[in-house]
Amino acid sequence: MTNAVSNQVPTSTSPGINRALTITGAVLAVSIAVWAYLVYSAPLDSVQGLIQKILYVHVPCWFAAYAGFVVTAVCGAFYLWKNDERFDRVAVAGAEVGVLFCTLGLVTGPIWAKGTWGHWWAWDPRLTVTLLLWFIYLAYLLLRSFTEGSTRTARFAAVYGIAGIAVIPLNYFAIQLFGGAAMHPNNLERGSLGTGMGWPFAAAVVTALIAMLHLVLLRVDLENKRIAADANAAEWDSDEDF
Amino acid sequence: MNALLAVLWKDLLTEWRSRDRAIAMLLFSMLMVVIFHFSLPGGATTATRAYAPGLLWVAYVFAALLGLGRSFAIELENDAIEGLARAPVDRGWVLLGKTIANLLILGFVQAVTACIFALVFEMDLLPIALELIGVVALGSIGLCSVGTFFAAIAVRTRLREVMLPLLALPFYTPVLIAASRATNALFETGSVPFEPIQFLIVTDASYLIVSFILSDFVLDE
Amino acid sequence: MTAVVARELEKRFGSTVGLNRIDLDIQAGSTTAILGPNGAGKSTLLRLIAGLARPSSGTIEVSGRSAHHRISRARVGFIGHATGLYPELTARENLLFAARLRSVPNASARVEEQLAEAGLTRAADRRTGGFSRGMAQRLSIAVGLIDDPEIVLLDEPFTGLDRTASDRLVERLMGLRQNDRTLVLVSHDVTLAAKLADAAVVLRRGKIAHRDSGGDLDPSTLENAYTAASDRDVA
Repeated sequence: MTNAVSNQVPTSTSPGINRALTITGAVLAVSIAVWAYLVYSAPLDSVQGLIQKILYVHVPCWFAAYAGFVVTAVCGAFYLWKNDERFDRVAVAGAEVGVLFCTLGLVTGPIWAKGTWGHWWAWDPRLTVTLLLWFIYLAYLLLRSFTEGSTRTARFAAVYGIAGIAVIPLNYFAIQLFGGAAMHPNNLERGSLGTGMGWPFAAAVVTALIAMLHLVLLRVDLENKRIAADANAAEWDSDEDF
Repeated sequence: MNALLAVLWKDLLTEWRSRDRAIAMLLFSMLMVVIFHFSLPGGATTATRAYAPGLLWVAYVFAALLGLGRSFAIELENDAIEGLARAPVDRGWVLLGKTIANLLILGFVQAVTACIFALVFEMDLLPIALELIGVVALGSIGLCSVGTFFAAIAVRTRLREVMLPLLALPFYTPVLIAASRATNALFETGSVPFEPIQFLIVTDASYLIVSFILSDFVLDE
Repeated sequence: MTAVVARELEKRFGSTVGLNRIDLDIQAGSTTAILGPNGAGKSTLLRLIAGLARPSSGTIEVSGRSAHHRISRARVGFIGHATGLYPELTARENLLFAARLRSVPNASARVEEQLAEAGLTRAADRRTGGFSRGMAQRLSIAVGLIDDPEIVLLDEPFTGLDRTASDRLVERLMGLRQNDRTLVLVSHDVTLAAKLADAAVVLRRGKIAHRDSGGDLDPSTLENAYTAASDRDVA
């Protein structure tokens, strides 16, 4: 019995994840330092002044948030395909970290907006779509906590996580076609950034993505430990029967 | 196809026997008209007619959510859902049968609600009846396809009544935006612009396809 | 010929193990009794064969195809714990729905046949919401057998049946055996299982604790295996 149970539940900390965490942790520390220095030394915006520097927090948050949601959808699809619960653990990590960054973006956005557009909130397409996405992945996390049975939870969540990514273009086009005017700049590529802002921005995006990766790995590790602990507890219970 | 027709027949017959879902949805949307009246400055009259298309769709969306939630409750009573899950066809057909049944039940509620709106806001809907039916049908296909799909999920969670709106509403926004625009244009000019209709068709098609493909994962266990 | 093949079949519910790497072959035309105490994984096994649950790992196949495939689902009839009936519909309508859902040819003739078989001809046009437990159970069995499936799975089918209905069901199952149907029967009743089945599996905590496929089952051997499986759980 003991053998059988410990065989099918992965050990509490897999060395692979530990090694990856050390690497991402180290890279993240360096990257944060570089990002802080570059943002500090980046030129002030000639029109907006100091508040423009929120760009180096606000926009990278979206990259990290969307990356997190994509992780959720892709791992959800793999879970449905391969029926391997490890994908589900990564999927839930992606959603939680995605929601975290999405919340950060939704908080920093209005601060910047109040300073430059003069309003806290604007029903601009990009903003509205992201808000809806935030609702979708919060609903995803609620769905997980309200569903009983681990396989059912994982399956329902995977389905919803995939649908959540699929609905982005529909919402985006609907709002763009029939909704309010766009406030955000059309492209975030070269041209919309002033001279000297390119490198700090790039560093900010890289830092956010590494932070996302690090947090996802931490969360997966936590889930692994939780499941292992549950399995130990279950084993303990069944031993008491004898 | 057999399975689709069987489910459609069964759902409509069950509803016809009890009529509880249609009556509840109808009362709910009538109550909403009353609530709209008290929440609009100046009440629901000719003066606030401009709000009618949007409010009409708000009423439709919430009536739909109410009915969709019940749609799978009848399957859980004696675990009849297992029979559906074991049907020897792609489960998409089963779900599509339920979607069409929901669409027809919702359609009845929508027709009555539209009449009440016409009465309260003093609009003559008869000349544009056909166009209105078309727009409402296109919008409702979107609502019922993902709605039935998410209802299958929500009904097997705790707090199912809360879960369905949370799951479905972010998916209802594109439908709601396009359908209320089209209805608005219809009420104002008497004709429907092509753009929202085109958008609704694309949305309906994508919702139907996605829920058909993923249906295999929501009916068992 | 084997009708059902399970290899390393495992089903977990979170950290609890429902079935623990089971290997099982069920011969076509045989009657297999699945015995065991509560929570041993009997119903889980049946639901996996019916395509109502998916394995956590390993495989379960019906006639060479994954049990979950729609062609496999067409071969299997399942009579579970719940009746699966719609209370708003009459007995006849419930059967007709099952027949249409499973594309049974000559549906209405088959429905009348099943009504007679279940002894429900006179109650055919009553809504099943008002049925007694026994009537509902009889109808539920009729629904499960509506398309005359090759493999019939029964989860405690005798629950709620009185003596006459029980005897009728035993007779019916014997009839199915003679028509080369494969039966899988989950039961607590060892004596009845020994009488009906020609193979038996005793499950304990998701593992096969005892198997017997000698053809004629010896009730006392089974009884001992069953008691052994249950005892260790209670003590």
